[in-house]
Amino acid sequence: MSEFVEECRREWRRLGVPDPIANEMAADLTADIEEAEAEGGSAEDVLGTSLFDPRRFAAAWAGARGVIAPPPTDEPTPPVVLERAPWYRPVTVVALTLVGFLMALAAAALVVGRHSSAVAATVTRAVHGSGPIRVFGPGSVVPPFPTVIHGQVFGVQNAGPAILLALALLLVGVALVGLALLYWAPWSHRRAGRRLG
Amino acid sequence: MASGDGRRSQLLRGVLDLCLLAVMDEGPAYGYEMTKRLRARGMSIVGEGSIYPLLGRLERDGLVETRRQASNGGPPRKYYSLSAAGEQALEAGIEEWRAVRDAIDGALDLVKLEVAP
Repeated sequence: MSEFVEECRREWRRLGVPDPIANEMAADLTADIEEAEAEGGSAEDVLGTSLFDPRRFAAAWAGARGVIAPPPTDEPTPPVVLERAPWYRPVTVVALTLVGFLMALAAAALVVGRHSSAVAATVTRAVHGSGPIRVFGPGSVVPPFPTVIHGQVFGVQNAGPAILLALALLLVGVALVGLALLYWAPWSHRRAGRRLG
Repeated sequence: MASGDGRRSQLLRGVLDLCLLAVMDEGPAYGYEMTKRLRARGMSIVGEGSIYPLLGRLERDGLVETRRQASNGGPPRKYYSLSAAGEQALEAGIEEWRAVRDAIDGALDLVKLEVAP
């Protein structure tokens, strides 16, 4: 087997070409070169200028057969064309931001409103007894005897669902604003450009 | 501007696959046999790259079919023949080539060359 074919085999092995395919290509190449030489020709009659670059030839052949990734060509890389932002992109960003802010505002309003009603309840209903903090939720009946709740703050008894709702609104709102920022971020455009390239 | 050899290489690179399909139209052939058929038609690949990667691509694209067959007194060879898709590609390629050739001839025929005696 010629040195050229040996060099090809080494390259195919290095590239991970399966042995049966490498053996087949080597056998075809050897037979063709031997036939050309038997007819008084040379390996160049079979291989053209590829004779002088066996590794490149081997990679190109294996790549063309689809057994490895195709090698890079000499052709110039097409210029990177940045995708123009579609019309709906700014609309989406503005809408996401707006909804996010509205949800955050709603959450704040809910917390503030809840807080002030709890204060009012405390002022109007905490009339019995003495000692630590006494708190009654709005609408609750003042018990005939003093009720003492150690360490609790205004309106805690009825505020659970409202606080949870406010928290959920705040989280969703912040998430929407964050999503809008991500969608509009400059590096997001650059990534799209690289994909096109 | 490309030199004479450079332009020839570029032109050939663009149509070598079509030429391979054309020589396969004569009948099934193995790699070196196709090189000899091309040479018999006036095309030498000496000075150009090899045909094997092109044959690999034609096979992968389904334009040729292959089978291994014993050759005359030699080892078994891989014979390439046109598939149905290859025949269609050959016909379309010939039409395309002729249109391009006529257009280029139309442009170049306007030039009057002064040939030195």
